[in-house]
Amino acid sequence: MSRGQGRSLSRSDTALLVGCLVLSVVAMVLPTRWALVFSSGVRATALAPVVWLQNNAEQWRTSRLELQVISSARDSASLAAQSLAGLQAENAGLRGLLALKAKISYRTVPAEVLHQTTATEGRTLLLGTGSSDGVHVGNPVVSPDGLLGLIVSAESHSSVAMTWAHPDFAVSVTTADGSIMGIVAPTPGFEASESFLELRGVPYRDTVPDGTQVLTSGLTGVYPNGIPVGRVVGTRREEMGWERVYRLTPAANPGHVRHVLIYLIRENRLDP
Amino acid sequence: MSFDKRARRRRLVFVIAILIAAHFYIRPWVASRFAPDLLMLAMMLVAIRSRPGVAAVAGFLVGLTADVLSPARFGAGALSHTIVGYLAAYGRAVFFPDNLLVNAGLFAGGVWLRTLIVLLASGAGASELASTLLIWAPIQAVVTAVVGVVVVVFFRDWLAIRLDE
Repeated sequence: MSRGQGRSLSRSDTALLVGCLVLSVVAMVLPTRWALVFSSGVRATALAPVVWLQNNAEQWRTSRLELQVISSARDSASLAAQSLAGLQAENAGLRGLLALKAKISYRTVPAEVLHQTTATEGRTLLLGTGSSDGVHVGNPVVSPDGLLGLIVSAESHSSVAMTWAHPDFAVSVTTADGSIMGIVAPTPGFEASESFLELRGVPYRDTVPDGTQVLTSGLTGVYPNGIPVGRVVGTRREEMGWERVYRLTPAANPGHVRHVLIYLIRENRLDP
Repeated sequence: MSFDKRARRRRLVFVIAILIAAHFYIRPWVASRFAPDLLMLAMMLVAIRSRPGVAAVAGFLVGLTADVLSPARFGAGALSHTIVGYLAAYGRAVFFPDNLLVNAGLFAGGVWLRTLIVLLASGAGASELASTLLIWAPIQAVVTAVVGVVVVVFFRDWLAIRLDE
């Protein structure tokens, strides 16, 4: 190899590196909507076979390794459901006495979580169910433990959910007894002990005891009411004597969940 | 390109295809946080056998794939994999990866550095940085390195590095 040729190859290496770095930075500064559209397009075309492959692997894993767990969960659920008919009748009777409308019920679809290996994976989850099963952008995603997040992108056979760990997440909530309302969002702090959710907007005069369960309020129309979000574990800060911010342990862990349910709230509407 | 070189490339492509298939079909059977990153391993195997520019492009493509599958911070994966791919190829001049321990060190270091860059580019807080870089990333790096060494040993004739590459 001549000296000139070596230098030109080295220049081409540098050019390729710079080109890739520039494209990466461009990708990082892309508006979120464009990034989601691009990702969605690539997942639905070039990466469709690998998404299909991983979804199949997850389904196989469930049917082989988790059959016993699912069977015992089904037994517990059927046992709990035995008292449901009486409760529903009682509830309907009480609603009738108070002249309340029937509670809205939503259809759900199950989905496998296709975990990835990147460090930020818990902020978004790739799901093995998509628009062909009625999943649309904005549909809430829950695990057996509680609220996980909502769908931000949906292709025909896969979708992406933004979880509560994402910095853009927020949900309107109420305490289990309905006495206090607020907004739950991830903690923006940088201290090692504060990687939790926080309950904001609670008036200073109200006190939320530790251990109080916090549920979705259903007020914004994004999430149905009554889904567990987390439990209060202490006060984080007090804002100038007019608001208290509480720390919450999340009910559901996006890093461990393998199956989720998607509420089809927006099945008949167009994506925003 | 000589027949021998072409055959070696075909074998490398075959090993990479196996790793990609395993990443999407076998890895989900393992608990996710400890699972080896076989896509990253495939990229490192290509990088240490390529010129730095080619390794940067390979890293960019693998990173873009990671971003598309997990778009929490789009572009962070592409940036981190590009840098790690380039450095792995560039580092070949310094650490000739013929020794198994050197291979393992390159794989583990690559995975850890990738995680560091992804977290920094994603604006992760101190708690997330500390727990991931001190606990989860080293575990994933070691697991990936062990799998990488097994792959290198199993395909040692196919993956042997020639000085003319």
